[in-house]
Amino acid sequence: MCCQPPNNSNDLERNYIKNIKLIDSAPSTLPSIGITGGEPTLLGDKLFSLISHIKAKLPETEIHLLTNGRAFADITYAKKLKQCGTDNILLGIPLHSDCSIDHDYITQSKGSFDETMLGLYNLERCGFDVELRIVLNRITCQRLPQMANFIYRNLPFVRYVAFMGMEYTGYTIKNHDLVWIDPLDYKDQLETAVCELNRWGLNVSVFNLTHCVLNENLWKFAVKSISDWKNEYAEFCDECALKEKCCGLFATSRKQSKGLQPIKVILCE
Amino acid sequence: MSKEDLFRSIDHMYMSPAPHLTMEFQGGEPTLVPELIKEGILYSESKREQTGKSVTYVICTNSVNIPDHLLDFCSNYNVVFSTSLDGPEWLHNTNRGKSDSYQKVIAGIEKVRDAIGEYKVSALMTTSELSLDHPKEIIDAYRANKFNSIFIRSLNPYGLAKDNEDWPRYFDRFVEFYKIALDYIIEINKSGELFVEELTTMILKKILTPFPIGFVDLQSPSGIVNGVIVYNYDGYVYASDESRMLAENGDYKFRLGKITDNYESIFYGRRVQEVSRVWATEYIAGCSECAYLSICGADPVRNYSTQGDEYGFRPSSTLCKKNMSIINHIFHLLDTRREELMPIFQRWITGVE
Ligand code: SF4
Repeated sequence: MCCQPPNNSNDLERNYIKNIKLIDSAPSTLPSIGITGGEPTLLGDKLFSLISHIKAKLPETEIHLLTNGRAFADITYAKKLKQCGTDNILLGIPLHSDCSIDHDYITQSKGSFDETMLGLYNLERCGFDVELRIVLNRITCQRLPQMANFIYRNLPFVRYVAFMGMEYTGYTIKNHDLVWIDPLDYKDQLETAVCELNRWGLNVSVFNLTHCVLNENLWKFAVKSISDWKNEYAEFCDECALKEKCCGLFATSRKQSKGLQPIKVILCE
Repeated sequence: MSKEDLFRSIDHMYMSPAPHLTMEFQGGEPTLVPELIKEGILYSESKREQTGKSVTYVICTNSVNIPDHLLDFCSNYNVVFSTSLDGPEWLHNTNRGKSDSYQKVIAGIEKVRDAIGEYKVSALMTTSELSLDHPKEIIDAYRANKFNSIFIRSLNPYGLAKDNEDWPRYFDRFVEFYKIALDYIIEINKSGELFVEELTTMILKKILTPFPIGFVDLQSPSGIVNGVIVYNYDGYVYASDESRMLAENGDYKFRLGKITDNYESIFYGRRVQEVSRVWATEYIAGCSECAYLSICGADPVRNYSTQGDEYGFRPSSTLCKKNMSIINHIFHLLDTRREELMPIFQRWITGVE
């Protein structure tokens, strides 16, 4: 499941042309460019011409490709990406659970866990950097410590691990009872998972969660991750000592945590 | 050992498929023939450059008389020294049956540290029956001598140590000793000092990480031949250190061939084929259905020397009982005190403070 709203019209060709134009008009100093979807690998080989195009026009720009990774279960597909010749690419791939049934349930696609895992191995074989993304929801948050253990035992090579708070929009609203959970209700499990992975030496971060809903130990992992166009702060955030460091809220979210409150005193260590 | 045998052994070493090699000089006392050590290292270095492998050299010594020129030489290569330290002075000297052994060992350790570096010397302890009553004193002696780790290891009922009368009782007491020592070490770490227990760390690494360990005693297929091989001064090749000890006592059961034989006839020879039928926990009775088979290891040499046959009989095996008790204990700690202990255990494994 992607929490973004679905789109049923076939807009591949039109958007492809639009994107090529966008790339052509971008400044060469552009630090990074994100390719997301839907699922960009649905473009098939066109994805590679898009990436090759970026590489040719914007050689310095880092590419951030968000994908479910399943297409890379086919090693030839992974090799084709390699042939685009860009080392400047990071693949963001969600893993929803250490338990294939849960993962497949969330993606609503049987066999997707196996394909994503195989995809992750193939990408590593080809030498790509991967950012593993764990979207925090009611189903996955039950097993966060086990998930951390699974990641270290089976995917210790990933470049980044990001635990991501959910945006309350799109499919999240539709499946409210199934997936929505207040971050307050998993903060301890999240702390265990993040701290264990960090001590194993993995590069861990927490996205989209405000400082006030995290245990203090996790503050240093929290990243200002929300895109500016949909980022906002609550009025009382002005009273918070950590506002500067905090990611704030999704303006697009129609529900927020009960735990939001300004943090007034920071104990000096 | 003759120079020809030494070079021949090194040739074999480089025929091994392993990218990382450890070449260990054992005795007697290898520092009594420093020129041979040097020649061995130089010969190996020339091969290392050709093959691109990495090599660590270990010199096992009593540290009593390490010549200065040997230390000078060693500082240019990846050499570490391994010596024996049993604990506090009185205990070490009683174990060794000498009144000045401790002083000499400590002086030797300092000398190596000064010459080639603080972390270039490690110590191994012999856990005698007397030691079993003094876990804390032993650990404190290691700390006082600036070691930040200890390897709690039991005696092996081989060779000379075979005289101990009651092995089952020894191992029961050893497990208790281990638990007390580990508890004490955990407390030390909780106070902020990094001090590692090596046996626990290796077992934890097998439990918690996807990475292998290079510890001969906890491997399946067994560490013998697969992880270690001994080229002996008598001109023969043995399956392990313990196999060589058996040979010292006139039992050549694990002699695999002559140093002058070719590589294949030793490593793929009849004798190795025979032992390979019993060298994996996955297919020997008792181990094959044990929950710990991937953590523990198979040891045909130990089975043979303690139980009279290579296959071994798990229900009365002291090795099995000891390993199972220790692994049980570690799982128990992970289960009941995970939150408290994981930071310490992870630090032991990663070495990152
Ligand atoms: S604990 Fe005993 S039975 Fe289990 S693998 Fe080890 S030796 Fe075999």
